[in-house]
Amino acid sequence: MTLTDPYNDTVRACFEKPGHAGDLQGEYAQSLEASAASSDQGMTVALSVGISDGMIVEMRFRAWACPHLIAAAQMLCADRQGRLTDSLQQFDVNGVMQQLSIPVEKTGRVLLLEDAVTSLWQQYTKLCKTDSGTG
Amino acid sequence: MSNGPIYLDYAATTPPDPRVLHVLQDSLGQTGSFANPSSIHAAGRQSAAMVAIARTQVAELLNTRQERLIWTSGATEANNLAIQGVANAREHRGKHLISMATEHKSVVDTFAALEKRGYKVTWLKPDGSGRLLLDSLSQAIRPETQLVSVMHVNNETGVIQDIHKIGMLCRERDVLFHTDAAQSVGRLAIDLAELPVDLLSLTAHKFYGPQGIGALFVADRPAVQLSPIMFGGGQERRLRPGTLPVHLIVGAGAAARIAADEMHENLSHMTAMRDRLWNGISDLDDLIRNGLPVHCYPGILNVSADGVEGESLMLGMEPVCVASGSACNATSGESSYVLRALGRDDLLAQSAVRFSFGRPTTAAEVDTAIDRYRWSVEHLRGIAPAKTGLLLK
Repeated sequence: MTLTDPYNDTVRACFEKPGHAGDLQGEYAQSLEASAASSDQGMTVALSVGISDGMIVEMRFRAWACPHLIAAAQMLCADRQGRLTDSLQQFDVNGVMQQLSIPVEKTGRVLLLEDAVTSLWQQYTKLCKTDSGTG
Repeated sequence: MSNGPIYLDYAATTPPDPRVLHVLQDSLGQTGSFANPSSIHAAGRQSAAMVAIARTQVAELLNTRQERLIWTSGATEANNLAIQGVANAREHRGKHLISMATEHKSVVDTFAALEKRGYKVTWLKPDGSGRLLLDSLSQAIRPETQLVSVMHVNNETGVIQDIHKIGMLCRERDVLFHTDAAQSVGRLAIDLAELPVDLLSLTAHKFYGPQGIGALFVADRPAVQLSPIMFGGGQERRLRPGTLPVHLIVGAGAAARIAADEMHENLSHMTAMRDRLWNGISDLDDLIRNGLPVHCYPGILNVSADGVEGESLMLGMEPVCVASGSACNATSGESSYVLRALGRDDLLAQSAVRFSFGRPTTAAEVDTAIDRYRWSVEHLRGIAPAKTGLLLK
């Protein structure tokens, strides 16, 4: 990113080839979906995860969004796929903004992604409680 | 193909024609026309003569007399002088003004400033094609109406207003008529000997002249009274004080002469480029062309794509330089008020791209724009959530 270029190399790479864009390809014991949207920002982001044995086997996103939010979603999915579902508890807004050089006025858009991740985690914990309750 | 930017934003500004640059450079420096044209010495008289030649060249482009033109810094200043100048001069006769919701910001904001001073402004909406309905104008004119301002060619959509009929109606109702012709002067034939226009704004950088110079045409009618909005040395009939920028004026004159000579050829080229681009993308699903083609200047093509976010579309279009339908402001994400006035919702307005073509535009550049636009739309639709599910519609 330069003074006149609002997008750094990571944003451009994620935008050009968002490998995690789309829907879940596999079938999983547990799959969850969450979305967040802002009419003010005119942005929508949706996340889906396929979970098996407490692991995120696959994570995908869809977005009607600016390049920064697309890149943030792509980076999130790439990072969380293959990790324990516990990793959905953490979302470092400041870290994402720094890594993608996201301007501060776009903070609200990154918070949308955080909302979607939080929703996924809440769904997962609820699911676990239900499973343990019925099991 | 070059890896540099492909410029398809000629509605924003045009590069100075090399022939204009040559004239402009010649007028600078010790041997040029650097002297103040208001000075009575020989060097000043030489500069004044150059200014007079340029004024005649611009007047000839518009088929009017050179003394009807007031040099300004561009169309924004010309619009301000026309609107504020009339409002101030005719304040005692009434404080009602009429304009359109689709005008350029320099007109909208000038009227808005007058509203804060107690003027009433009626904002007319266009029909779905972007054109003004004469009936709505007729109904809006009141006995106290002083000025109607309607732009000739819209800067976003290219929609051409029928300024002849609008002007006729204004004459019948004894109201002054101003038109912002920044997008049409030098691009479309304008005959001010025939058109019932009282005030017309232009800027040279839209027709391959330098930035920083424009003019206001003021019709030779007793009713057309203007008060100055700046004060100083009394230049330009005391309506626009300040030392004239001779080199810019000479450049504007040269640009006007070239535009007049090559207008027909340029229009044919614009039409070919626009049609090539539209033919290359029109088979994509859910595209909307903003502005009815039959009423549009061929140098502008404005297209909205359903299901595509505007800022991402701009990035996907690189290295093609086009204008977007959203304000260049990441904070607001505000969509084009012009397109919303045409009935487009926020998302469609935000997804709009304005392609605008120029003399240097080549078929190869248009083909690259087609490729990038197609890739971007398909790429972003591939990422987007299903329309019926998550899109905020």
